[in-house]
Amino acid sequence: MELLIIFSSLFIASLIALISKRRALIETVSVIASLVVFGASTVIASKVVSAGEYLPNVYFSVDSLGALLLLIISCVGLAVTVYSIAYLRKESAKGVVGLTRIRQYFALLNLFVAVMVLAVSSSSPILAWISIEATTLSTAFLISFYNKPSAMEAAWKYLIINSIGLLLAFFGTLLYFTSLQTVGETGFTTWGNLLSNATYLDPAVAKIVFIFVLIGYGTKVGLVPMHTWLPDAHSKAPAPISALLSGVLLNVAFIIVLRFKAITDLAIGPDFSQKLLIIFGLFSVLVAALIIFTQKNYKRLLAYSSIENMGITALGFGFGGVGIFAAVLHLIYHSLVKSALFLTAGNIFLKYGSTKIAKIRGAIGVIPVTAILFLVGFFAITGAPPFGIFLTKLLIFSAGITLHPVITILMILLTALVFVGFFRHAQAMVFGKAEGEIKKESESFWLILPPLSLLVLAFYFSVYQPPFLQILIDNVISHY
Amino acid sequence: MSISLLQFLLGIVFLTIIFLHLTRKNFGAVVVYGIQSLAITVILFNSFLETKSLFLLFVILTILIVKVILAPVFFIRLIKNHELTFSASTYLNMPLTLIVLAVFTAFAHSDKFLPLTNIVFAHHALLALSLSAIFISLILIVNRKSALSQALGVLSLENSIVAFAVFAGLEQSPMLQIGILFDIFSWIIIATVFISMIYRHFGSLDTSLMKSLKD
Repeated sequence: MELLIIFSSLFIASLIALISKRRALIETVSVIASLVVFGASTVIASKVVSAGEYLPNVYFSVDSLGALLLLIISCVGLAVTVYSIAYLRKESAKGVVGLTRIRQYFALLNLFVAVMVLAVSSSSPILAWISIEATTLSTAFLISFYNKPSAMEAAWKYLIINSIGLLLAFFGTLLYFTSLQTVGETGFTTWGNLLSNATYLDPAVAKIVFIFVLIGYGTKVGLVPMHTWLPDAHSKAPAPISALLSGVLLNVAFIIVLRFKAITDLAIGPDFSQKLLIIFGLFSVLVAALIIFTQKNYKRLLAYSSIENMGITALGFGFGGVGIFAAVLHLIYHSLVKSALFLTAGNIFLKYGSTKIAKIRGAIGVIPVTAILFLVGFFAITGAPPFGIFLTKLLIFSAGITLHPVITILMILLTALVFVGFFRHAQAMVFGKAEGEIKKESESFWLILPPLSLLVLAFYFSVYQPPFLQILIDNVISHY
Repeated sequence: MSISLLQFLLGIVFLTIIFLHLTRKNFGAVVVYGIQSLAITVILFNSFLETKSLFLLFVILTILIVKVILAPVFFIRLIKNHELTFSASTYLNMPLTLIVLAVFTAFAHSDKFLPLTNIVFAHHALLALSLSAIFISLILIVNRKSALSQALGVLSLENSIVAFAVFAGLEQSPMLQIGILFDIFSWIIIATVFISMIYRHFGSLDTSLMKSLKD
């Protein structure tokens, strides 16, 4: 029932955005739909906490990891929808976008959220794959939203690279089905079917297909070397869409990888998948750290920071033990903080009209609240105490230091490099001396509230984990 | 259908991908893609004759309408409207391209992939050839500069995966058939909308002209 409410409210919001020409109506319905999604997701999560799993019918199931992701999708989705209204009003005041574009935007935004919910709640690996493919379709149009050549370039790159990745993921998914041939199952296949028949999977096949799945969905996660679409797409999409792409979509794709990891681990033990996650994690952090240091565009900077954080999450799951607990928490913190950072980046873009770091100077004097939020977000994302990412990085590194000391030490050095590189850019943007005179103006409450709320939430979860969150995380650790 | 006929059809699929690597003319590429899709349709139809699955028949009819008729017709209209007679060049030169194709075909037939190509032991040769088709389709996407050729590469990759699924005996699952259908529709939407948009913005389908996004 709850999922039906989620899908129907988002579908209605999309439909109204397509057929109505009244902007206020489109905006109101989208916000109401986001609130409904948030409410229904909370109900689903509470059912998962009490029953261990939410099973409305054979086609849908939400486990603890799915419930965590549902909460993230609904929470960031709500913040992004509220922010989008104020953001697009500013953009239309400048004459950048018209009503037609805005209608398309809200239709695609609601569709994007709906397919992400479908991806985490579907009980079938193929339905999950279809949902991830559908995110490509909806977001490609959002990335090319500004209809500029550079936006088209980003969208095409995104389409081609992700399509290759997802076709490889489809191929891998298909090969997991060979385990079912042994027992003669050909009907509706669920994650549960694959898990219970994992032991029938030929170990040699299991290794090859996990590589296909990891490369395939890893493309969507943004793991190096399949990451090349990510900085382009995140930098060219409107800021609220970048927030959803970075803060939510990467995690959604990651949990699909984790579900296949669980199946593979049952077939051949955890060593193989852990090794691969460590390798991809290591390269992701390495490449991101080096590029962050020399980055010239603040939206690309945030995109590379996402690659770094996905790499750290992969390392957490690769190291195992306490690393898994830390990686799950890391996913949550990263979602909240990175979305907030992209939203503050949107405020900076609205004021300065540029995404080049060199053109953003003295933000503290021009847009002080945004500048402070950006700075707080920077400290949070790079893992400065007392923010949760400090703890998660510490736990991941402590999980790795005994079994993989060289990799762990290298990781510590690279995260230090990320901090220095990011700090260099952030302090210049916030405190640097402005070249020309940029008029200070009052900042819109609705452009401040969403990123502020996300940062407050991230801070709250950093110092206190409510019992429901602990139960969900404990369940995830026992399953993955 | 006899195994030799299936082998012949898969051979057509493989050769059409090789042709897509070699040709410089867009019209020829689109026609050959249509032939490739027709071969896949016949391979799937053979599977229908064995399983009598009505949903599979629906998938076959959809592939026939969308991939064999609609997609090529759309691409040909695009080529005629924008006078896109010749495709943009490749990143690797022709001899190097052929060497890479030979290497990847050999790689697909190597012991490394025996676990995959022996999923159905009787279809070992067919599965190895399907896997080669998957690999060389990937190279087609990466090596070509034209957006149209890249789109044809993705669609060929899709066809190759379908061929592999059929010979691995996996095509009977309705979920997989839904997956195939969704992919067809999404790529037809992408190809029709984005290729026209690229031409409008860049006056060409040459993706090497897209250079504004770099670190």
